[in-house]
Amino acid sequence: MSKQDELTKQVNIEQTVMDKVLSGKIKMKPKWYFVAGSALSVAGLAGLVVTATFCVNLLLFLLRKQGPGIYRLELMLDSFSVWLPILALVSIIGGIVMLKKFDFSYKKNFKVIILGLILSIVAGAFLIDATGLSDLWSKKGPFKGMYQTKPRMRFKSY
Amino acid sequence: MATENFDNLTDEQLVQKIVRNDKELYSQIIKRYQTKLTRYANYLLSEQDKANDVVQEAFIKAYINLNGFDTKKKFSSWLYRIVHNEAINMVEKHKKVIPLDPELDFDGGVDVEEDYIKSELSAHAQKCLKQMDVMYSEPLSLYYLEDKSYDEISDILRLPIGTVGTRINRAKVIMRKLCQNKMS
Repeated sequence: MSKQDELTKQVNIEQTVMDKVLSGKIKMKPKWYFVAGSALSVAGLAGLVVTATFCVNLLLFLLRKQGPGIYRLELMLDSFSVWLPILALVSIIGGIVMLKKFDFSYKKNFKVIILGLILSIVAGAFLIDATGLSDLWSKKGPFKGMYQTKPRMRFKSY
Repeated sequence: MATENFDNLTDEQLVQKIVRNDKELYSQIIKRYQTKLTRYANYLLSEQDKANDVVQEAFIKAYINLNGFDTKKKFSSWLYRIVHNEAINMVEKHKKVIPLDPELDFDGGVDVEEDYIKSELSAHAQKCLKQMDVMYSEPLSLYYLEDKSYDEISDILRLPIGTVGTRINRAKVIMRKLCQNKMS
């Protein structure tokens, strides 16, 4: 392509784009669109972190309540709610995917960010357990049913 | 419209004026960047026509999303990022170039004389760059030919600054080998 052709093409780019801009064929998305997008991203991330923390806490609580031991393990597995770790995992993965969309994610070591997120979730779950909130939730409130999961007796008791 | 000298305005100030309903000023942005962006797109695509299409599409997308640009940040990095995305989409659509593999990083630490690289680039840039994986040619061309800083390249390619440095160092070594082979 000669210099003249290149120049012509460049003038065409400017003209084509400006024609579309001035004729209103292309319009700027409004500011609120981007504000809402950012707000939804933050809310989505917060929601996923809270869900993951809640699921991990519930798992910890159920494990603590049923205690160790082979027989107890069988009981626990029998009553185990499979959706719980799946939901926790999905929330964590969702959180990581959302984190990647934030500007700061590529500036820092992303592996450290992921590790930080997982540690925060686990620490949050332990904190809820340690403060006795999970015991409280097992007695009253909307999560009572979840915290009071009873093993379904599959084995005969002697 | 009264004649006004927009040369003194920064890109970010110009963008603020455009979003405040001075649409015509967008032509100033196009004037400032079309040559640079077309050259950059050409490094990535190695085809002038496709590069022009990509740049035109990038200017349209940039205009549509102008309200989403944070004027506290660098406008040029934001615009280059759009061109990068458009070019990568074009590459993937035509499957002509090996896709980027972010896992294929090498350790840096190899230092090659800047002057040597610059002179090599100016003389054989296009031919050597075309032979190089886009993963290396892109940061190299941004650094040496577009005069972008590591920080700006990090914003354009969305990579940690350390990875940018690593890729540029590795690209220098590849560039030297390719150019030397070509000359010999």
